[in-house]
Amino acid sequence: MNVELAGNRLQLRPDRTAWWPRRRMLLVADLHLGKDQVFRSAGVAIPGGVLDAELRALADAVDASGAERLVVLGDLVHAAPGEERAWTRRLGEWRRARSELGIGVVLGNHDRGLAPWLAEWRMENLGAVLELDGLRLCHDVDLDRPPPGLSGHVHPAVRLQAAGDALRVPAFARRGDHVILPSFGRFTGGFQGLDPREWQMLAVAGRGVRAVPGSGTSASNRDPDQDAGG
Amino acid sequence: MKALESYFAHRGWPVLDFQREAWKAWEDGESGLIHAPTGSGKTLAAWGGPSLALLEGAGPGPRMLWLTPLRALAADTARALDRPLRFHGLEDAVGLRTGDTSAYRKKKLMERPPPALVTTPESLSVMLSYADAGQRLSRLEGVVVDEWHELVASKRGVLLQLSLARLRALNPGLRVWGLSATLGNLDEAARALMAPGVRPRIIAGRAERPVALESLLPDEVSRFPWAGRVGIRQLQRVVEAIDGAGSSLLFTNTRSQAEIWFNAISSVCPWPDRVALHHGSIDRELRDAAERGLAEGRLKCVVATSSLDLGVDFSPVDQVLQVGSPKGIARLIQRAGRSGHRPGGRARIICVPTHALEIVELAAVRERLRQGGTEARRSIRLALDVLAQHLVTIATGGGFRARAMFEEVRETDAFRELDAAAWQWVLDFVMRGGPALHAYPDFRRVVEEDGVCRVPDRRTAVRHRMNIGTITADGAMQVKFQRGGSLGSIEERFLTRLRPGDRFVFAGRILELVRIRDMTAWVRSARVRKATVPTWQGGRLPLSTLLADGMLALFQAHAEGRRPTDNPEFHAAEGLLELQRRWSALPTPHDLLVESARSRDGHHWFVFPFAGRLAHEGLAALVAWRLAQRRPVTFSITVNDYGFELLSADAVPLDERAWRDALSPDRLHDDILASMNAASMARHRFRDIARIAGLVQQGPPGRGKSLRHLQSSSGLIFDVLIDHDPGNRLLEQARREVLEAQLEIRRIDAALRRAARQRLAIHATERFSPLAFPLWADRLRARLSSEDWQARVERMLGTLERAARRPAT
Repeated sequence: MNVELAGNRLQLRPDRTAWWPRRRMLLVADLHLGKDQVFRSAGVAIPGGVLDAELRALADAVDASGAERLVVLGDLVHAAPGEERAWTRRLGEWRRARSELGIGVVLGNHDRGLAPWLAEWRMENLGAVLELDGLRLCHDVDLDRPPPGLSGHVHPAVRLQAAGDALRVPAFARRGDHVILPSFGRFTGGFQGLDPREWQMLAVAGRGVRAVPGSGTSASNRDPDQDAGG
Repeated sequence: MKALESYFAHRGWPVLDFQREAWKAWEDGESGLIHAPTGSGKTLAAWGGPSLALLEGAGPGPRMLWLTPLRALAADTARALDRPLRFHGLEDAVGLRTGDTSAYRKKKLMERPPPALVTTPESLSVMLSYADAGQRLSRLEGVVVDEWHELVASKRGVLLQLSLARLRALNPGLRVWGLSATLGNLDEAARALMAPGVRPRIIAGRAERPVALESLLPDEVSRFPWAGRVGIRQLQRVVEAIDGAGSSLLFTNTRSQAEIWFNAISSVCPWPDRVALHHGSIDRELRDAAERGLAEGRLKCVVATSSLDLGVDFSPVDQVLQVGSPKGIARLIQRAGRSGHRPGGRARIICVPTHALEIVELAAVRERLRQGGTEARRSIRLALDVLAQHLVTIATGGGFRARAMFEEVRETDAFRELDAAAWQWVLDFVMRGGPALHAYPDFRRVVEEDGVCRVPDRRTAVRHRMNIGTITADGAMQVKFQRGGSLGSIEERFLTRLRPGDRFVFAGRILELVRIRDMTAWVRSARVRKATVPTWQGGRLPLSTLLADGMLALFQAHAEGRRPTDNPEFHAAEGLLELQRRWSALPTPHDLLVESARSRDGHHWFVFPFAGRLAHEGLAALVAWRLAQRRPVTFSITVNDYGFELLSADAVPLDERAWRDALSPDRLHDDILASMNAASMARHRFRDIARIAGLVQQGPPGRGKSLRHLQSSSGLIFDVLIDHDPGNRLLEQARREVLEAQLEIRRIDAALRRAARQRLAIHATERFSPLAFPLWADRLRARLSSEDWQARVERMLGTLERAARRPAT
């Protein structure tokens, strides 16, 4: 699904990423890498394989888009990396196998202690915000007054209920010129609490991204494309 | 025994035969079960032996444990147990330890353990998790399990069985006694408390008081609605009945019904300030206030759910009313028992049917009361989640040796059939997280050193202790007033669908949601009268087999022109039965009724196996799936306690042969798994399992934040396990629980086997028969979907979009 944010055309993709063709840039948010290991260390029996599946999905998303640059909108990791942690080593290996890809990381609330590791992995530390072509790319925003741009942090999800069935799926959430990405990590929860009048929910629906009818209907949030197209 | 007799004489009570029998049995070192109704002297029957032992010799405690299912009852119980000891000069002999006990008190109890301790199954488990548990509990002589009928069929009962096995290992001579209300399978229930090979002594107390059943029958049954669940049109007569008695308890089957009836009664009765509401989601203090109000005579009526089914010192009321069918005999007897404890008197209960067929249910209740007998409650088998929790508990305590522990666990009724492979899996799960985690040294929950399995990490131990128990609290959100004051809790699922400003009914008030923050719904009072009523999960019990069969027997009686004597409900329902017979036929033990009808909605098939709502859900999906195998067709499904409906857009002609195939008991297991959206049901079921097995951790209230990085939803974990550890036996358990507990596969199997012997009465009806009508009216489309989630999302979005495009009217 294509959206226009402050004059920039972006594509919201069913692999939970946003693709910015003019910049050849792929945006993802909230990977929470290493979360399964944090759980295991605390005695919660989460099986292995989560991290590998996550990294594979990330590689697939990069390859599918043909991106030259990957920007992570915060929460790349769930807890501080460490030499002794298997997931830290795996992430390092993954990075070395893709040294030609430019990677920048906006820091999120989980990214404490990440800075030295970004240097080690040759990833660009973008600090709290990256300003680009009038868009603010950051981890979290004031949900009542989101600026033009993209963010993460919220892990938006939406509950669909129709035709005798119900299911919760991850979603992009749009308000005016701002889009919140769904969490990329599969082992992260979803949040259904965004005000559906203010936020248009764009559900990740298998092969496509589709607007959830009835969401984002408040007057301040008309999508000019849809108004024109009828 | 002189001491006991003098205490009884002092209180002016006669010693009953069964009490003397129980005292003697204790002295002889026996174990067993005492069954008698509430308020008939059961407590002192069981306590006589232990109290004599306590009076005879001093010694460090605890020597006796008294286990009670509800911590709210523990304080009352402790007082009752203390009295005879105090009478003979033994002071402060009974201590109390529950989840409500302060840390300071618990420490004191550890330092100077009292001779007897009243506690809950969970609290006992916590005691077993302390390092010196083996030594502390090594002087135990006896355990009494109160209200065992409440625990036997639950995972709490499984946890208790495991704890008892541990206590027996520590104290080989341990005596264990259970107290129970009447059950259909007392022997079986008693054996679940015993070591293998021990024949429990069953002691029967005074028989249940005969129940005097009365129904508020509508004057004209022909005008009475054929469907519905609330029955509010009987309001005026209910209010009159309450008005005519000093104090009343009005039981409903669900919390939503209780909210609705409370609001209705208080808005039309002349004494609105003297009515209160009591159900399991309401804050403890408000519930206590309602109980006190009734005891002190300030209240005239309390509207309640099963939250008031228990309670030792709960003072009897003048009358008990039951809205809707009680769905089971045991429940009816228990509720009726709350009315006036006049010696030799009858327990009176007034039933308020909510629709016409419930009158037949009540007629079956009356017949069953005459014949005697109640439902059975069976203990849960092979609950691996509970076993995993117990193993970590013992590893946190003194530790265990794998070989000996395997033997100990297999001594319980719940794990008698545990095989070596399943045992090894659970052991692996708590030690290494399961076979899939072998390569991950970061997982260390239970560690084996010198042959002893222990939890080495202190933080893991502390967290485990906080998570002991099998009652899941997650999914419930606190409801609080903004200006202070807690009202109770409602399921998160209901609350998260509300928006700020939305109104709903809860705790008998109409509330407006202000906002949701920190797992709390902040509310204020709303001034409007109209609001939605939350629904709670799992409120409704299915009609018991005993009553369902009773209904079939009554249908047969009518079909044969017989008429049971002294059964006003049957008489009232005869007109309806006659209509059913004329328009179609009556289902009987020998005839399975199948009806077809046409309406604007499409083509209907109705089938009436009388196997209860849960089994019908599975049966309907099974039959629909089998029919769809013959030729493509889409059915929507509705079920109730009597039968199910399959509705299709096009006619699906089916002859006897086709129905016989669809209802065949062969390949039940495989077909039902193929027919249901079993994955999604299992994912839901996994909530409790994940919590109990320690995959989802709960922090103590107020300390949630520090554990936030460890919080995850069970659904997420379910998905991760499916992807990365599909052989995980907890997944298998979730599927099994769906079949056994959620769909009652045993009843499905029994219904199909019966169908194979029954005649098939297939009738095309002109209009909906009295049996078909409630299904039609009550249409709740079940989810029958075999598509993957992508296709489901597409379909749902398509439907929503079509609905959105439709011009607003």
